Amino acid sequence: MTMCGEILDVVARSLLISSSATLLAAAWSIPASVKLASSRSRWRDPVVGVFNALVGFPAVLVGLLVYLAFSRSGPLGWLNLLYTPQAIIIGQAALITPLFISLSYELFARAIDNYWELAVSLGASKLQAYGLVVKEVLGEVLVVVLVAFARAIGELGVALLVGGNIKGTTRVLTTAIALEVEKGEFDKALTLGLLLLLAIVVVAMSSRLIKRRLS
Amino acid sequence: MIELRKIWFSYSGDRHVLRDVDAQFDRGLTVVMGPNGSGKTTLLKVSSLLYKATKGKVMVDGVDYWSLKDPDKLRVRREVIYVHESPRVIRGSVLDNLAYGFKLRGLREGEALREVLRLVELLNMKHLAEERAVGGLSIGEKQLIALVRALALKPRYLFLDEPLAHVHLSKRRSVVRVLEDLKDSSAIVVSTHDPLPLLSVADEALLIDEGRVVFRGRAEEALRLVL
Repeated sequence: MTMCGEILDVVARSLLISSSATLLAAAWSIPASVKLASSRSRWRDPVVGVFNALVGFPAVLVGLLVYLAFSRSGPLGWLNLLYTPQAIIIGQAALITPLFISLSYELFARAIDNYWELAVSLGASKLQAYGLVVKEVLGEVLVVVLVAFARAIGELGVALLVGGNIKGTTRVLTTAIALEVEKGEFDKALTLGLLLLLAIVVVAMSSRLIKRRLS
Repeated sequence: MIELRKIWFSYSGDRHVLRDVDAQFDRGLTVVMGPNGSGKTTLLKVSSLLYKATKGKVMVDGVDYWSLKDPDKLRVRREVIYVHESPRVIRGSVLDNLAYGFKLRGLREGEALREVLRLVELLNMKHLAEERAVGGLSIGEKQLIALVRALALKPRYLFLDEPLAHVHLSKRRSVVRVLEDLKDSSAIVVSTHDPLPLLSVADEALLIDEGRVVFRGRAEEALRLVL
């Protein structure tokens, strides 16, 4: 494979792995946020507080925990997922879950307070009220998804520890950059770095555009 | 008639915002008075079936509302409208907002518009109805839109939380007049910390303090208390 082909392969894999991780995290984080936002339990605030605190959880520590879980002697070792793209997807999904829940909880709490109550107070059925909430927050949820994706694609700790940086299988942009720096191939590392930056800038600009359209 | 029987309410379990409240709302205009934080908004939200009481029953025409099945609840709910103190609008045009309640009931836009436009004319807010988006409107204008949106539905029970709070002085009299017209056919319950503009046209008044009803009587008696 040519150098260009190799780089494109790494970029495509990074996008695929981090998009899958974002979708996976969205699949549990969005329902959890809605549940939390509509709960009146006294445990709601402490639970939200824990997720807020976990936003800054170091990626390398998440990577270590996922590594221990998937290692042969770990509780999930029988799944044989260590050093596969799936392991990185699960690890990145775990990493971005607190960020996802913290951001979307605020969003849904506000939306439920504003739009759910408004719809119900005007005689909406539960389905109609959910319809209004979804319609009103859809754009903002998309922004949260993009922010979470940016966090996932830019992390190194999980991808390196549970992916192993295997060429053609688990090598992603961040692990490839680390490898090239180790090899002293700074030009290649910089090219990969610029591509990573480009991906993050495109995501940031998309979220800005969405926000502007919404306002 | 909506009847509150021995209602207790708390948001998080430790502090009761409503304590042992009994009240009935039938045709006519009732003014709910009380200082900030006395429980007026919560009383209106429990009465308008938005919040379920922690203890006690809310009876609508003699039936315990919260024991009803979902389709019956929705049927009852559609006769009860609550308007928030801080006006809530949906994204879109002013007309989208005004017609929203009708759309929920499956009515066609044409039918909805007729009643909406009548009220728009009555409240002299034609210029507002011509606005395309609600985003740039002032809080007072949004409150008028929220009021018209509710009034146009001609609900049997109408609960208004501080409806005049953000409305410009020049429009207040028109709003009071519209409420006065509607009170013969509907139960209107208005919470306010400034009861004077409403007490002159109200039938009953209720004073709430620290979650307890401390006065309930004719509006004239309340007026004497206030003045």
